[in-house]
Amino acid sequence: MKKVIICLLVVMVASQYGCKKFLDLTPIDKLTGNNYFQSANDVEAFINDQYGRLYEKYVQTNTAGGTGEMRSGEVIPSSNSQTVGYWGGEFIDAALVGGHTRQVANSGLDVGPQSIANTAVDDYLLFTAATNGANYNGLSMRYQFYHLTQWGEYYQVIQSINILISKLQEGIPSLTSDQTKAYLAEAKFIRCYSYFFMVRLYGDVVYYTAAYQKDPLPRTNMVTVVNNCIADLEPSKNDLPVAINDPIKRGVRASRGAIIGLLMNMYMWNAGFDPANATKDYTKTAALGAELRNSGAFELLPIAEWNTVTKGRSTESLFEFFSTVNYNNTSPVFQFAPNGVSFIHFPYKLPEYNSRASFCVFTTQYMQKLYPDPIDKRVSIWFESAYNQNAETFQFLKFAGNTNLDVTNDPNNQSNPDNTYLIMRYADALLLEAEAQYDLGNETAAAVPLNLVRIRAGAQPWGGVGQGSDAGYANMGDAIFYERAKELIGEGTHYFDLVRTKRILSKKFTDNPLTRDKFDRGAWTWPIDPAVLSKNNPYMTLNQYWTSGRGL
Amino acid sequence: MRKQIIWPSIFFCVLFLCQNLMAQVKKITVKGIILDAATKEPLTGATIGTPGKGLTQADVDGKYSVIVDDGATLVFTNVGYVSQTVKLRPGQVALNINLTASANEINGVVVRGYVKRNRDEQTGSSYIITGKEVQDNPVGNVEQLLQGKVAGLNIQNNTGAPGMRGSVNIRGLSTISITGTGDNAYLQPTSPLYIIDGIPLTADQASQYGFDQQGSGVSPLSLIPQEDIASMEILKDATATALYGSRGAYGVILITTVRGKSKIPRVMYTANFYVSAVPKLRSLYGGTNERNFKINQIQTYGINNDKYLLSNTPALSDSLNAYYNNSTDWQGIYYSDKFNTTHNVEMDGGDEKFNYKANLKYFSQSGLIANTGFENYSLDMNMQFKPSPKLSFFGSIRSSLGKVQSGSGTGVLQTIVNNSASKSSLLPGPSFLLATSDVLSSLDIRNNAGPKEIDANINASYELLKGLVLGTTTNYTYRTDNTDSFLPAAANGQTTLMNNDYSYYSELYNRNNISYTRPIGNHNLFFSLFNEIYIKNNQENYTRIYGSPNDTYEGPYGYNGALSTGGGVLNNFLNLRTASFAGAFTYDYKKKYVVDFTYRVDGSSVNGQNNLYTKNPSVGFKWNLTNEDWISNRTKGWLDQADLRLTAGQNIYPVGELQDIYGKYNSNGFYDNQSRVSVDFDEIPNPNLKSKSVIQYNLGFDVSLFHEAVNVTFDTYYKKVDNELFKIYLDNTLGFNYYNSNGVALSDYGYELTLTLHPLSKTSKLRWDINLNGALNYDVLLKLPSQYNGQTYSDQDVSSPELTKQYVVYRVGRNSLSNWLFINQGVYASTANVPVDPVTGLRLRSVISGTNNGTSLNPLYSYQGGDAILQDANHDYVIDARDRQVSGNSQPLLTGGFSNTLGYKAFSLNIYCSYTAVRSVINASLAQRLLLLSDPFGSNSVPTASDLRIWKGTGDATAKFANVYDYAHEQYMSNFRASQTLFQENGSYFKINQITLSYNVPKNFTKRIGLNSVRTYFSASNVAIFTPYSGPNVENVNALGKDVDGAYPNPRTYTLGFNVQF
Repeated sequence: MKKVIICLLVVMVASQYGCKKFLDLTPIDKLTGNNYFQSANDVEAFINDQYGRLYEKYVQTNTAGGTGEMRSGEVIPSSNSQTVGYWGGEFIDAALVGGHTRQVANSGLDVGPQSIANTAVDDYLLFTAATNGANYNGLSMRYQFYHLTQWGEYYQVIQSINILISKLQEGIPSLTSDQTKAYLAEAKFIRCYSYFFMVRLYGDVVYYTAAYQKDPLPRTNMVTVVNNCIADLEPSKNDLPVAINDPIKRGVRASRGAIIGLLMNMYMWNAGFDPANATKDYTKTAALGAELRNSGAFELLPIAEWNTVTKGRSTESLFEFFSTVNYNNTSPVFQFAPNGVSFIHFPYKLPEYNSRASFCVFTTQYMQKLYPDPIDKRVSIWFESAYNQNAETFQFLKFAGNTNLDVTNDPNNQSNPDNTYLIMRYADALLLEAEAQYDLGNETAAAVPLNLVRIRAGAQPWGGVGQGSDAGYANMGDAIFYERAKELIGEGTHYFDLVRTKRILSKKFTDNPLTRDKFDRGAWTWPIDPAVLSKNNPYMTLNQYWTSGRGL
Repeated sequence: MRKQIIWPSIFFCVLFLCQNLMAQVKKITVKGIILDAATKEPLTGATIGTPGKGLTQADVDGKYSVIVDDGATLVFTNVGYVSQTVKLRPGQVALNINLTASANEINGVVVRGYVKRNRDEQTGSSYIITGKEVQDNPVGNVEQLLQGKVAGLNIQNNTGAPGMRGSVNIRGLSTISITGTGDNAYLQPTSPLYIIDGIPLTADQASQYGFDQQGSGVSPLSLIPQEDIASMEILKDATATALYGSRGAYGVILITTVRGKSKIPRVMYTANFYVSAVPKLRSLYGGTNERNFKINQIQTYGINNDKYLLSNTPALSDSLNAYYNNSTDWQGIYYSDKFNTTHNVEMDGGDEKFNYKANLKYFSQSGLIANTGFENYSLDMNMQFKPSPKLSFFGSIRSSLGKVQSGSGTGVLQTIVNNSASKSSLLPGPSFLLATSDVLSSLDIRNNAGPKEIDANINASYELLKGLVLGTTTNYTYRTDNTDSFLPAAANGQTTLMNNDYSYYSELYNRNNISYTRPIGNHNLFFSLFNEIYIKNNQENYTRIYGSPNDTYEGPYGYNGALSTGGGVLNNFLNLRTASFAGAFTYDYKKKYVVDFTYRVDGSSVNGQNNLYTKNPSVGFKWNLTNEDWISNRTKGWLDQADLRLTAGQNIYPVGELQDIYGKYNSNGFYDNQSRVSVDFDEIPNPNLKSKSVIQYNLGFDVSLFHEAVNVTFDTYYKKVDNELFKIYLDNTLGFNYYNSNGVALSDYGYELTLTLHPLSKTSKLRWDINLNGALNYDVLLKLPSQYNGQTYSDQDVSSPELTKQYVVYRVGRNSLSNWLFINQGVYASTANVPVDPVTGLRLRSVISGTNNGTSLNPLYSYQGGDAILQDANHDYVIDARDRQVSGNSQPLLTGGFSNTLGYKAFSLNIYCSYTAVRSVINASLAQRLLLLSDPFGSNSVPTASDLRIWKGTGDATAKFANVYDYAHEQYMSNFRASQTLFQENGSYFKINQITLSYNVPKNFTKRIGLNSVRTYFSASNVAIFTPYSGPNVENVNALGKDVDGAYPNPRTYTLGFNVQF
């Protein structure tokens, strides 16, 4: 009897092991987490999705305009009636986001009588531009800047990446340790990019790196967030190749170059907000810049070949959101998301009968300030009637080079010129290095990367303060600042540069300046969609400046 | 094999021989007849024996003949009856016995954890219902007839839809999970597990999509013929259900079907002829009365250009227009009395060694609503084969075919019918060209739906050594369910519509057990071990095609295939495996003290590999008082039996799916021309998700007094439901929408009492049996996720308007499901009575979010005389969602029933009632009815309202209802929102479920016409409801206590039935 019972028990215990297999099922109707992350393909598709999400977020609105010259007040919408019927009205939010209400009046006028409003500069106008469904004197908000007040999509990416990182750390079968390390570095790049972009938009943000984070958290000081990101990213930097040779992924997927570019941006951001550690940050930036330059993996293409840069996947791109008309994007891109579209008209934009004027122009003053020297090839290649703020003549062609719109085939074709969304370029990193070297007091070292950019553009190399085309700049720092503005015009970095260098406080550098008080209360941030308060997070706060109302 | 038969036979023969040699006592032959005490029917197959030994069985007439010692003690037993022990007087050779059927049988054999055990060794709480109690009243679903029969089993027959199920709860609430919104909100069903002849059955299948489900919606339980049920046992506490595993967490109901037990094959034929009668419908104005009412209303209360619009509304202004000159009784078109029949033939025969049974059934029930009904054909067979005392086989096949028509509704809800039944009587009646598409769709939809099920089962057991039994059971169930509906073009905007839904469900079940019984002196030991495995698959496919060639052809594709929306596998796809191991150990000492331990380990494919197994222990203790000599000696003569039970145990119910634990991954298009796969951002995976646990403590006693004239069973219990799945909506910095937490706990505690009385002596010609039961159950919400600070409400979807919705509010410390209502304090007698905001100078305003957004200062939103006084709880002079208060309890506190059987000679009268008390019901139907009075331009009928105390005019301070006639003002005020205390009523009721009068035709008469027995009966069911509730039917409300307009009414039925045995 005992034997029988013992035998039975043994059988039962043994069957437990069989059971585990018996109970492990793969559902056919859905892919559940226990069946995912089994191969490199799974990781690849998942990580690709994160780029896709960031891209989709970026193209919800004219992100580059909202974080660039529109925000700094250098862009004026055209009130040209020709734009009205076709697109449904003028782009008043291009002005409001920059704190003004100027418009260039009807066509035919060179330096049109900008109606400088009695209210003059009022940075609180941005609040209207960033409100969904708002209107200003009956004009609706065309650019949908309210998307910039919503951060939910970034957190979806962050949650995804946190899950991916925890899976990679647990170990994914069939990945080699090098592959795992490379994917970890790439994942961290995406996470840090998301946090850094949010920091630049909102200041303090909620920061976490735990997978499956479900408990609400308060916002973390932004310097800490950036420092955390640096600490997260720095050790993984060398796990990726310096640049990607695969022409499909070059500049599109993270490489060591992209990480270095992001790190340099983060160091320079913190240098502006954490003066106590600024020198350390400058040193780091300069070193990273030199590393990037010495690697030789990236290059500045001849200015005549500029259009291959905006086409995407160029050797000049550190990181970009790739887009092309040749691929069928599953999610439609907001039609005014490309910043360049706002500044072009026929023949770069069809149909002719409705596209005789640009939606917006850069002010003449700004263009003159930016490009005092017309021999700079950027003026002639990137612009048409550069100094003429007439919506019918002015065009900004930096992103319009890849278009084959053909009137004879389809005169009503409304599509935009083909271009990719440049996030970080080699030139960006070079100029950051120059800036860091200058801030460390090494003007000679600063001149090396600065001149690389200038020479490519056919501009005069740096010759010292007050020399040649640099005559208007008080010091080399201003020259580097303006060089960034020139080189990166329309790429959505200008406002961030103003903020981190505090040049935003001076009317000399921007048409939409802030007082020190406004700056300290967070006027440089974007308002945060108050929907975040109604959800279950008792720690959540909005940005003070945008909640306490205008004035004191 | 032969040896196995021969050797024991020889052994027993020798034994008998020896006895005869040893005891030189005179042998006599005792003869007699065994009858049912109540019905005087012969008890075929009753066992006659001496204590501890069965000798023979009664034949088909209940007659027996047995050779025993003179003056021996005879024991008469039959399953489902109280056994009797009679000591023969010396020389007595004739003995007639009446056995009393007793649901409250304390002695006898019960099945626990799939093993037959003596009942007095059981520590758990359970209750047996015999098959007789669920006959004589044809129903689509036998569950209905359990209402009020078992203390603690709360059944609400809240739908009259043929073939559909009501709600069933054992011992109160087990969940607070609500799905759907508005009228479609429903409480997740927590039905008990049904075990039919040892095979588990899932009764909830049809409810997975709530009311709006695809498929026919017929419960598998509806496919079981009521005539085939021999007995049902309801297991309530944790120890009783322990061995049924995770699915036993909500209680277990064991169903045993009829077995062959007559040596002479028998044929039983049962026929029922019954009429379902429409309950009272809404009283409406017809024709001219309706027109005059509406015109008068517009003349009195119209604002703006309403009076001008009146002349542009031909239905009202053009009384001579033939099209509008009608008085159509729309309700009469849809609702009508129906006549139905059911037929059942049962054949059985055999003896202990081999017996068989076949049951053939036809059931049909046409619904009260046109184009609805349920038909069921079934053939159930089983056979039992015991070639030797050690070996036994049992096999059965159940097959059935259901056919359901649900008209244009979804079975439980008939919204379209409801809407069109309240159409204006001025409109012409249904004809192809004139009626609205609603009408046509309800009447002309062609439906072909229903489940088809086949279920095969085989069971074998072998006694390896004495006391050691090995057993195995395998069962395979396959069920397909399809719905084909065709909506003609005229009824669907000139495009025909075909819906095809097909689903299959299969279940393979295997159980192997080993049990061992060993008495050691006065100590009895029992061990049982078993493992069981399920493989379940479910798949549902759905296709919708528009535009067939014409209304006569239902296909193939019409001229435009692009109209078809296609279809595919629905998301209730299931591929589930479970594997369980369980052990039970029972020890008793002289049957005085019984201790039970059980332990069960369940593994499930939905649990995830990290947390594969859940463990459920239970322990029970029983003290059989009357087995103590010192007690039985002192209580002789009045106390027959008494015991005390104490149990505790835990059951775990797996909640959630793999995707709740691991997340779901979706394909997400392309970026950079490479494929993307993302995690699904609706739900954040919760790797720590736990199973729901149900912990139950039970204390009970059973007492039987005065020769079983009084039987009392009392139980008190505490049940804690912990780790209930609850969605927590997340802050958007977390990326995901919600996460499934285990943060909810609730408890039920209460008392159950069952009294069975036989007040007249056993020799009395008049028989009288009374069964009374009641259960008092309180539920308390113990815990919510900490984020909610102790209170939250259902339905956090903010898109639908807040005012009209009925929220269920969860507040810790209160009953689990309360309503969140506006407090109604009467009606403003005049405008001067309306409070005025001292800051703005505006009268109290109503704010309907979504319309005026709380900011409008439009005076039209201000209250005036004749409006409802809603309490401005926060004193901001605005009535909005923040003024809602917690109120009421939708779950009943007290449920029970009462059954009374009187018999005299061949007549028997049974009256059976049930009651439900102390609960709140939202009379949304009344709110809806009142709103019909407030829409003169609409195309709806006007109900009469003379019975309602509506505000009469300035100064009327005692009115109950606001001035509903002032339609122009009402649109701003929403005075008749259902979510106010005005419509929350007492939902108690006492219901006469059934009155049955039956008559056994005398034997000598039946013999003459060649029949064995004939029984005829007349029964009325759903006879009357006594309730303070003002709505149409207090029972016809959903599980959340909302009287939803459009629910299917419960019919009253009158049945004439015959029961013939050949």
